[in-house]
Amino acid sequence: MTPALAARVGEEAVYTAPEPLGRASIRYFALATGDSDPAHLAGDVAPPTLVCETNQYADRPRDADGFAGHRWDLDVPGARLVRGGNTYRFHSPAGPDDVITARWRLDDIAERTNGAGKRMLIVTSLATYTNQDGRLLATNEEALIYVEA
Amino acid sequence: MSKLEFAPLVRRIELPDMVAYAGATWDWHRLHYDPAYLAARGLDRPVVDGQVFGAYLAIALRGWLGPDSVLTDLSFRFRSLVFAGETIRCRGELRSVQDGVADVDLRVEVVEDGRLAVAPASARLRLPHE
Repeated sequence: MTPALAARVGEEAVYTAPEPLGRASIRYFALATGDSDPAHLAGDVAPPTLVCETNQYADRPRDADGFAGHRWDLDVPGARLVRGGNTYRFHSPAGPDDVITARWRLDDIAERTNGAGKRMLIVTSLATYTNQDGRLLATNEEALIYVEA
Repeated sequence: MSKLEFAPLVRRIELPDMVAYAGATWDWHRLHYDPAYLAARGLDRPVVDGQVFGAYLAIALRGWLGPDSVLTDLSFRFRSLVFAGETIRCRGELRSVQDGVADVDLRVEVVEDGRLAVAPASARLRLPHE
């Protein structure tokens, strides 16, 4: 952990979609996941985890890995990044007319040692998703882990 | 008393399934399709996007607890990578039902060798009124 990294805690990033979610996006997600829920396949109601996928409106350039979604661009030399997990809370279902805003906050960076004795940085972020009326749709606590190479 | 275990949801994840999910979520990370990128990292097959397991678990939960149940909480931790061509099994056990709320313990296993892909994991659902 460096002072520069520690200073990043508390940062926020906000992304608002330029248009409503739309039936096509909902139907495509349902088809891609083999979802048989008629309301999802019709595009009337978004499957719950779709609202937490925000790459399509992050409006960020693709990085060297091809990824164009939200990232904090933390400088952690000599480490590889792995996903730790997610905790979703679904407050209200999203529909095709919802214009979604994702508000990310970098909540914590903690140093740990794994079972193999390698140092890790565990980065915890919280994303809050709302629609154009301020209705809370979901929250997503995400853990990313930088493991010493 | 033993917990009620639901019939697992089983999915074979082929590369076209991964391409469809990448398209649906605009996730173009090379880990999911680029052989040269993978080889440089000592991987011989594309890696399944971990977030899809959240979607599969949500589908499984709806099947287990009915179309009128409402998923309110879903939490999962990744344990190992899953690769294109592997088959996964979403398992669930009903931990409790109280005041119209069901808590379910979850995990995702790889069928071919039994390794855990996702665990621990859990969900809470609001059940329809009788």
